[in-house]
Amino acid sequence: MPRRTFSTEPDNATSIDLSSMIDCIFILLIFFVVTTVFVEEPGIEVAKPDALTDAKLEKNSIIIAISSDNKVVYGGKELGVGGVGARVRQLLAKDDLPVIIQADAKSDHGTFSALWSEVRNAGAKKISVSTRND
Amino acid sequence: MARRRLALEEETTKIDLSSMIDCIFILLIFFIVTTVFVEEKGMAVAKPDAAAAAAAPGEESSKVVLELTAQGEVLVDGKAVPLADVPERVRSGLEDETTPVVIRAHEKAAHGAFVALWDAAQRGGAKMLSFNTVN
Repeated sequence: MPRRTFSTEPDNATSIDLSSMIDCIFILLIFFVVTTVFVEEPGIEVAKPDALTDAKLEKNSIIIAISSDNKVVYGGKELGVGGVGARVRQLLAKDDLPVIIQADAKSDHGTFSALWSEVRNAGAKKISVSTRND
Repeated sequence: MARRRLALEEETTKIDLSSMIDCIFILLIFFIVTTVFVEEKGMAVAKPDAAAAAAAPGEESSKVVLELTAQGEVLVDGKAVPLADVPERVRSGLEDETTPVVIRAHEKAAHGAFVALWDAAQRGGAKMLSFNTVN
């Protein structure tokens, strides 16, 4: 009688088989590791223009926004056209990334054009305008 | 003897995984928190310098020029054209695929109007599309 309690009780109570849970967590972990891209978002909401001939853009890009009152924003800070040029040059020195300009539909074309030229001079090879996701 | 062997077997199979699970959980939470799903749609835009390098030089005469005024009107050959007719006008102006199409936009024009015109020109089949800004 005492022997029976010894062989069943302590073992049964402590061991839970965790291996299947670990499998699950590993799969989740691998999914998130693979899908993560570290992109600095502009941090402002812009009303993007609509277009029919747009295509999906690369996920890993430098995203610059122009607000409706023609402010140029990158990474949550208002840098102005010149400041963004300097930042883009820095970023492109490390890695050759495409640039996406998210301009508000009501912003001036002149600001967009100036930003385009600045980014091109900073060495960006592919520059795209962002359009509405529908 | 039989009892001792049982105890030995237990010892060899047990590995304490709890600290590893802690580690993996911390990694998992980090990646969940930092993940952003960027879904950007858009169009690549170019100015003439890039487009002209690919096109044959000296073909100044054969190109389609679309003008965008500050009020958002589209002019082709100096005459106002509704946006819906732009693809047709571009298609009729193209000699072949490499005919350059230039959008000459006023700097005070709205960006939305510019994108709409760019989109219309692309629907008209323009491959060598570029833009200029005037004031």
